[in-house]
Amino acid sequence: MSANAKITPSTLSIKDLPWQIAWSQEKCTLCGQCTAVCPVNAIEAGVFRKRIVDVDINADRQPGNVYKVYHGIRQRTDPAYHCVGCGMCAMVCPNDAIMPYHSDEAEKLKFHLNQGGQPERRGGRRNAPSGVLDQIKFLRISMLTDPALDAGRHEFEMRTLLGRILPPEQNMEIVRQRGWIPPVREIYPLIIGGMSFGALSPPMWEGLQMGVAYLNEEMGMPVRISTGEGGCPPRLLRSRFLRYVILQIASGYFGWDEIIHAIPEMKVDPCAIEIKYGQGAKPGDGGLLMWHKVNELISAIRGVPMGVSLPSPPTHQTKYSIEEAVAKMIQSMYMAWGFRVPVYPKISATSTALAVLNNLTRNPYAAGLAIDGEDGGTGAAYNVSMDHMGHPVASCLRDCYLNLVHLGQQNEIPLFAGGGIGKNGNLAANAAALIMLGASGVQVGKYVMQAAAGCVGSETQRCNICNIGQCPKGITAQDPRLYRRLDADDVAQRLVDMFVAFDTELRKIVAPLGRSTSLPIGMSDALGIGDKAAADRLGIKYVV
Amino acid sequence: MDQQQYHLIPGRQDGTRLESRVLEERLQEAVAKGHRKIEVAALGQHGIGGRLWRTGDEALHVRVTGHSGQRLGSMGFPNTRIENMGPASDDVGWLNAGAEIVVHGDATNGVANAMAQGRVYVAGSIGARGMTMTKRNPRFDPPELWVLGSAGDYFGEFMAGGIAVICGIEAKNPDNVLGYRPLVGMVGGKVFFRGPHGGYSKSDARLTPISDQDWQWLTENLKRFLKTIGRTELYEELAERERWQLIAARSPQDKVVQKTRSISEFRQSVWNRELGPGGLIGDLTDMDMSSIPLIVTGELRRFVPVWENRVYDPPCRATCPTGIPVHERWRLIREGRVDEAVDMALAYTPFPASVCGYLCPNLCMESCTRQSANMAPVDITQLGKASIEAKTPEMPPVSGKKTAVIGGGPAGISIAWQLRLAGHDAVIFDVSDTLGGKMSRLIPQARIPGEVLDAELKRIRSLLPHVHLQQQLSKDDIKQLKTDYDFVVVAAGTTKPRTLEIPGRERMIFANDFLARAKHGRIEPGEKVVIIGAGNVGCDVAVEADRLGAKDITLIDVQKPASFGKERRHAEGVGAKFLWPRFARQITDEGVVLESGETLPADTVVISVGDVPDLEFLPDSVEAEKGFVKVNEYFQTTDPQIFAIGDIVQPGLLTDAIGTGRKAAAAITRIAEGGRPALDKPQMIDVSRVSLEYFDPRITGFSGVEQCATNCASCGACRDCGICETVCPRGAISRTDLGDDAYEYVADPELCIACGFCAAACPCGVWTMRENDPLN
Repeated sequence: MSANAKITPSTLSIKDLPWQIAWSQEKCTLCGQCTAVCPVNAIEAGVFRKRIVDVDINADRQPGNVYKVYHGIRQRTDPAYHCVGCGMCAMVCPNDAIMPYHSDEAEKLKFHLNQGGQPERRGGRRNAPSGVLDQIKFLRISMLTDPALDAGRHEFEMRTLLGRILPPEQNMEIVRQRGWIPPVREIYPLIIGGMSFGALSPPMWEGLQMGVAYLNEEMGMPVRISTGEGGCPPRLLRSRFLRYVILQIASGYFGWDEIIHAIPEMKVDPCAIEIKYGQGAKPGDGGLLMWHKVNELISAIRGVPMGVSLPSPPTHQTKYSIEEAVAKMIQSMYMAWGFRVPVYPKISATSTALAVLNNLTRNPYAAGLAIDGEDGGTGAAYNVSMDHMGHPVASCLRDCYLNLVHLGQQNEIPLFAGGGIGKNGNLAANAAALIMLGASGVQVGKYVMQAAAGCVGSETQRCNICNIGQCPKGITAQDPRLYRRLDADDVAQRLVDMFVAFDTELRKIVAPLGRSTSLPIGMSDALGIGDKAAADRLGIKYVV
Repeated sequence: MDQQQYHLIPGRQDGTRLESRVLEERLQEAVAKGHRKIEVAALGQHGIGGRLWRTGDEALHVRVTGHSGQRLGSMGFPNTRIENMGPASDDVGWLNAGAEIVVHGDATNGVANAMAQGRVYVAGSIGARGMTMTKRNPRFDPPELWVLGSAGDYFGEFMAGGIAVICGIEAKNPDNVLGYRPLVGMVGGKVFFRGPHGGYSKSDARLTPISDQDWQWLTENLKRFLKTIGRTELYEELAERERWQLIAARSPQDKVVQKTRSISEFRQSVWNRELGPGGLIGDLTDMDMSSIPLIVTGELRRFVPVWENRVYDPPCRATCPTGIPVHERWRLIREGRVDEAVDMALAYTPFPASVCGYLCPNLCMESCTRQSANMAPVDITQLGKASIEAKTPEMPPVSGKKTAVIGGGPAGISIAWQLRLAGHDAVIFDVSDTLGGKMSRLIPQARIPGEVLDAELKRIRSLLPHVHLQQQLSKDDIKQLKTDYDFVVVAAGTTKPRTLEIPGRERMIFANDFLARAKHGRIEPGEKVVIIGAGNVGCDVAVEADRLGAKDITLIDVQKPASFGKERRHAEGVGAKFLWPRFARQITDEGVVLESGETLPADTVVISVGDVPDLEFLPDSVEAEKGFVKVNEYFQTTDPQIFAIGDIVQPGLLTDAIGTGRKAAAAITRIAEGGRPALDKPQMIDVSRVSLEYFDPRITGFSGVEQCATNCASCGACRDCGICETVCPRGAISRTDLGDDAYEYVADPELCIACGFCAAACPCGVWTMRENDPLN
């Protein structure tokens, strides 16, 4: 900033920012690509004045001043244009002359992201890289004492069940009485969690759906994907691919009129209906699709006018208790497909999750319970909700599972865990840990965005601007200028790669445990952790 | 020793089964003793027949009767031939290193596991995991496994060499002679088989045509196999070439993972076929979804550069109440058109020299962008002073519209001047005997050389011949003026001095009176002067008092004095004291008695607490507000025919008065020409758009107007320097000559990548980046 300019409380120096741009004048060719690509205009060309005090070594002549002007790249310090560290500048730089670096000390920017009384809002995830899941080890290596399994050679049934499974005697009784038996789906245990059409760009959404169809039809893997809350394109609703889709309904009810209109024309039933009550990344915050992402396409799919911000309230209107909400919603959604499609609620992990679960155990229609932990991702949220609200998924899931064990219903109501699974890249290990803690399957979103589309976001504050429609990779943008950077075919291919590789890794974990024909759900004697408190809390071995 | 007789080693002694260790010791011992034909009556002992190297090249035959245990012939040597007379247990020929092992019956799991040389002949079928992990050492012939029947599940896993032959005779599973999931992980060797199979690992192995050489090998060795197991009668049946198939391991190059459909093919033939052309949302949009690179041009750019030349005012002009386009004058000087630059001022003010050069606090310089970087502002006073030479512009013919201007001070002169420049007559009426108002009567000589003001007033008189001095006007006169003139402008200023209602107030002299008399030397203030009211007028009084011999000059005020700038510095320069807060209670012969009881001795007491207008002469149709005339934004009073400007509306600087005259003149001209008045003031440019780095920061003063002009950043107005054209990395910017000295810079959308370098590098802040129009 200019030395003579007025400073305000929010006048920051580069040192105060979380990300600092290192730029090399020597390497830079002034090609302009970094400033052209920067999604938040954090960098701009700068005019620099260089002064050289020119003094002759033997004082043979009068000393003088020489001024030179040079051009280069300058980082802006206005909080509204702070660098988010996405690194797109480095990506386009032909000479590796520019790179954002994370600040070496506590940033000051955070104190100023509330201009005009508006608290910080952003997308992405909780800025907390660590987590208990990465610390869990698989200890019970069978070797040859049990029939040994070889992940590369043996056949595995990496499948799980979604739906209410009745105890055999009850099942037989109902068969005898020709009563209603709840629908159950056999699916792959890694589910793509709800990311809406709108939160995601068209090529991202299509790429994921196409990849899922490919996994099912070409690879024989029954992978399922949740739509998130934003409706579903009419063509997909009327295609056989709907079988692979879990339709999500949430408090905004976006796109549901299109879904209802499509029911008579559906070739197949959807996999399941997910009722979203909460999102682990931002419990109690509700959803918001900013107006600049609501273009013609989104408005058509969601059934709303163009250019308006679309809030999903944190609560379902017309429902006054969780018991009522769950009972009422589950009934309604079953009716829509003639009781042929499993319906389950998804809640954010919370210390009150057991209350919801106990309620479900008494409701024969409840097809399962999805629990979303604090490390999940979101397209837009208040920072305070993202960083400080929520419950870790591991202990919540564990409590729920042990509660089912206590009730003797652990094989009847499948639990699905989500939120930060694979957040540090350890997808299979995290998934296996949760399965052995009691999950029937896991839901992943962020990992998919990172693996299948190259999302550069991180738990250390990188990028995380999904909310403003400026995603530099085109994943969460609705502007064709950005989302056309992403090719749906590439997304689909990467998704397939990711699932196939995950499958091998999951086998590499379960094979030594001696499991090949069913998932080791709740096989917690195989788990250990080097943290006594965590071991005690989760009821697994403490090992050092 | 009878070499034709079999040496019997029983597996049982005294009714007790021998341990495998003991049987092994006896077998080795027998060989060491020279026995070359040994029969073992086995009772499930482990590993019979292996490791019998002691015979060297001499052949050794071990016949096994009874029940052989697991690993028959394991680690067998090439000298050894083992013949098991019945079925065999697991792992026959495990790690076989050359022995020929014959099983006259079925063998269970793991036959030939990890075998590297030798042959295993099985006269029946085998269990699971036969021929797994087999090797082929180039120093030796490959190992062979011959099975008359069929193979069990997981046959040939990780097979790395050797030849297996599965004949399919009396197969355990006639529908699948190779068992479930054979050949997973196979990397070497071949498998001849006869009969149906249920699939095998196609990523590791593939069916290969049987060559003549293969067939020859197979038939020759088949005869030997059948002879060995005593089933030669099957030869005819087995010699049907077309019933045999051969599977060989894929070479590493050949080992492509199972061929899968490409995503693009899946999209075409599966995805789009089911959903329709355009895929998922092809029915909702026909938008081009093809992928684009990160760096784009044309309509794909997120931003576009815009050359906003002269869209915004520079701060100098924007803050000049008179509205002089200061930057344009510097431009003319840079272009060598100094005369035009000087003359231009007269289009805006009749007092370019007196005001801009001397009397104005120069708000243009205070706001100069250069100040934002601690750099000396461009010195307008130099150009102001030069304006004394400005040529009076040519006057247009008069329109016939006439305006009466009441007051010949700066505001009145300004509006008359502007109206005349616009072609309308203006007649000035003033009560005073001189033109120029306070400028002529009150401002001390020290602030402006008399000849400068005289010269400008002379120039004004030459342009405005209709000036009536010493005209005291009444309400009736104004009514008459309204009849005689199209418009009446009130510019009478503030003529009534304010005073204090305190005892002895008659002893005080009004500041204006003091200044007017002082200017003509008609007052002697004495040694001690107290000035009540320490504003700029009070400062002028102090300076004049000093000039007239006062030694002890004190200014008092009830609050922090409002005086500033040259006036304040001048007063301080002559040693005047400023005291505040001080409250005068009474004026006596001694001086000023304060509320505190203290007396400030004074020979002369001057009251300088401001002036208010005299509105007595105005008609009732002109409303007042707080003692001043109420006007709208065009300086029109509540009587639409009457305008009011200058201090009578709101006290201000000279430049404020001149500016109000110019604005009111514009409004009158618009109305006179049948239009509606309008304000057309552009916004001030955001000075952060200007790049001052191009200028030398060490300049503290300017040697002349040329240097001033060079150092003017020309905020918001193109300097035609060509930096944008040069800095553009894509060569997208070019200069277009529009004729008549006009030009523009344009960015070619097909080349521009919207890097914003032009906007950042432009010294004047002309280029800017705006968001591109939405694509959807």
